[in-house]
Amino acid sequence: MTLVADRPEPGTARPYSFPSVIRTEAAGGLVVAAHLPGQLLATASLLLDAGAAREATDREGTASILAKALEEGTQKRDSAQFALALERLGAELTTSVDWDAFRVGVSVPVDLLPGAVELLAEAARTPKLDPSDVLRVRDDEVTALRMEWAQPGPRADAALRADLFGAGERYGRPLHGDPTSTAAVTADDVVEFHRSWLGRPGVLLVAGDLDRLDLKVLAEAAFGGTSGDPLPVDPPLTLALRDARRTILVDRPGSVQSTLRLGHRAPHRAHPDYVPITLAATVLGGAFTSRLNHLIREVKGYTYGIRGDFAMTRRFGRFGVSAAVQTAVTGPALADTVGEITRTRLDGVTEAELEVARRWRAGQLSVDMQTPGAIVGALATLVIHGLPDDYYATLRRQLLDATVADVSAAAAAHLHPGSLTMVIEGDAALIRDDLTALNLAPITDAAP
Amino acid sequence: MVTSTSTPVETGYPWPIETTRLNNGLRVVVSEDRSAPVVCVNLWYDVGSRHEPEGQTGFAHLFEHLMFEGSVHVQKTEHMRLVQGNGGSLNATTNPDRTNYFETMPSEHLELAIWLEADRMGGLVPALTQETLDNQREVVKNERRQRYDNVPYGDAWLRLLPLLYPPGHPYHHATIGSMEDLNAAGLETFRAFHRQYYAPNNAVLTVVGDTSAAEVFALADKYFGALEPVPDIPPAPNGHLTGPAEHPARQTVTGKVPAPRIYLSHRTHPFGSAGYDTVTVLATVLGSGRGSRLYQRLADGARIAQPDYVGAYGVDLAHAPAPLIITATAKDGVDAATLEAGLAEVVDGLATEPVTEAELERAKALLTTSWWRQLSTVGGRADTLGRYATQFGDPASAGYRLPGWQAVTAGDIADVAAQTLQPSSRVTLTYLPGDHS
Repeated sequence: MTLVADRPEPGTARPYSFPSVIRTEAAGGLVVAAHLPGQLLATASLLLDAGAAREATDREGTASILAKALEEGTQKRDSAQFALALERLGAELTTSVDWDAFRVGVSVPVDLLPGAVELLAEAARTPKLDPSDVLRVRDDEVTALRMEWAQPGPRADAALRADLFGAGERYGRPLHGDPTSTAAVTADDVVEFHRSWLGRPGVLLVAGDLDRLDLKVLAEAAFGGTSGDPLPVDPPLTLALRDARRTILVDRPGSVQSTLRLGHRAPHRAHPDYVPITLAATVLGGAFTSRLNHLIREVKGYTYGIRGDFAMTRRFGRFGVSAAVQTAVTGPALADTVGEITRTRLDGVTEAELEVARRWRAGQLSVDMQTPGAIVGALATLVIHGLPDDYYATLRRQLLDATVADVSAAAAAHLHPGSLTMVIEGDAALIRDDLTALNLAPITDAAP
Repeated sequence: MVTSTSTPVETGYPWPIETTRLNNGLRVVVSEDRSAPVVCVNLWYDVGSRHEPEGQTGFAHLFEHLMFEGSVHVQKTEHMRLVQGNGGSLNATTNPDRTNYFETMPSEHLELAIWLEADRMGGLVPALTQETLDNQREVVKNERRQRYDNVPYGDAWLRLLPLLYPPGHPYHHATIGSMEDLNAAGLETFRAFHRQYYAPNNAVLTVVGDTSAAEVFALADKYFGALEPVPDIPPAPNGHLTGPAEHPARQTVTGKVPAPRIYLSHRTHPFGSAGYDTVTVLATVLGSGRGSRLYQRLADGARIAQPDYVGAYGVDLAHAPAPLIITATAKDGVDAATLEAGLAEVVDGLATEPVTEAELERAKALLTTSWWRQLSTVGGRADTLGRYATQFGDPASAGYRLPGWQAVTAGDIADVAAQTLQPSSRVTLTYLPGDHS
């Protein structure tokens, strides 16, 4: 065996570039496109200001039902005909609902994109929404949510969200609703949501070989028959932190692991500290070698994986840590987790850790943006948060330039271990005494 | 006007491929693509859980973990730090057939990635400690809990394999293996496992992206060239099976699941064969998308199955007839017997009710998109080439897969269905909600 002992030095880096972004106003709407020469696939996504935040109280899940009901037939063809028309192009409709937006998208070989966008628009703009179909979709969605809520995680996520944002507030309720709120949605709610929020042009995002695509043709398909001005953007929520830690226990009898969901509120996406916050979170829990994963997986063996991050939307953010740990070590794993968050707040980050974080985040801007789907996702971020077309190049530079002082200051300012809500979903009978003995926070039980 | 989708393609791999073989047997595959400043380095080792003897199940997968824990010139956890800390993404997976390792890096770090892979191929054993082994055993136990034991229906795959393949067959046991076997083995057994299988002549190194064949061949020679080949690597037990199972098999699990669910499964043809191309198209006709037979007939038509949970897919295993798995979950108020009868009727219909041109066109269009999506990253391309080089001896044979799917006819589907999907060879796994008995 003769291995080379010396680690090689890097070669010369090619300059970073994000694909050129083209903005075209056409047919009453805006197309934001990225040119990917030679790419065989193309992706289009219609971005509508119709996120879950637009849902009525106690009707959470309306937008998610609508997303599925779009494929239950259009004013032109029934559901089977629609499925066949779309799938014979090799396309499937991807819909998503998040706090900021409602998206309908397709990915196909580039020459098939015009036909796929026509069908996408037919479903998004002129769905049939027959009441009996909508109610069937709703019932299926309730059943699907019950399936999902039988897994570990959703109940803990809901308990954390309710505690951070208020059980009576839309942002304190699950993004896609829960089985109860979804069961309460009526056919009228869904039709009304569509009428209120899906009739404006929105923005069409396109990534692909633009030499083979006519953006005007795509715009006409996407924006035909629409009207209305863009909606005003509401300001960020006031950031409220708890003055003490608390533990919420969600019972899951027989569970062989405990699901940990720790969190507190945090700034919104457009906050000026976005870059140092992201880097602090990377050092704490974002990379494989992060403090949390290193201690709790690689040293202690308590878990298959643990991560911490800041999730940030247009109006709010939240810091969160999630993991599934073996039942018997729930207490020690929780104590170690809080310990690492506290250490990061108090002592900041080291240059060695930060160097990994900044180079990783910067490198991901190339490595993670190879596909038209990923590029469309990046375009959506530009549009939703009002960022300039050269944003990714700027972001890359800011990531690489961030100093230990910047990132440590962000950790001190935005990590609040004393304000954590700590939700533990597991076999309460087996873990309650350990959690009590830990004495990290008073324990309350979540409603079953 | 919609463009026709069924234009036949000449090849499913329209990028250049260059190959060489080092004197120690390491095969090197390069596919240059300068469109982005990224490069993927991928290693396929021809060792998977099919190689594990009785009493050593789970070894191949545990090794995948140990490969990230340091080697002679790389400290514990340094591998991850060097890859992520230079902007890369990495992972590894183990299945019955093989173990693969891959990292996509900004291209200026190509040499680093190759150095890291060479160091753990040739220098893992001296760095392997009892502490690391014990730690990663615990991580794997948590992986098993998280993926299989703590989720409703999570153990379906673990239950299907022994029903599909007889005892002693290389696919009889699942890759995650037995925790007892992992506990029982000592450090020396693991060292021996690495020495046996992690050899240059048992691997394919594939590099795709912002580089040239000349550069990669030179780097491969520099870093891997001095590693000794391992003579007489024992092959996995023979996976040959004479046709479909001769008897049906059935298992019912009562436990904490939210609704009745059925899995039907058959052994079909090995991945890479014309028969398996037919199975791939058949599975798409049957269970992919809203236009599929399962969706149209059970979710939308009879409305006995939950729309989000119908599906059919082949598991792409190459060393024995691969499984086709068909599944549906009951809607509220529908019992398991009704669901099973409905599911069986649709599956049986594949042999008797010819697939229409529209069904065939739909399936091929969906498969075409999924093929190009898989190849839309340098990582997807590298893994594909590594697979075809390892399993079929020629990375360029990847180019035949898409034309192979496009050549499948309705008659082929009826023939394969009649031959391999008979009730007499069917495995039926049923989950029922209820208390553990």
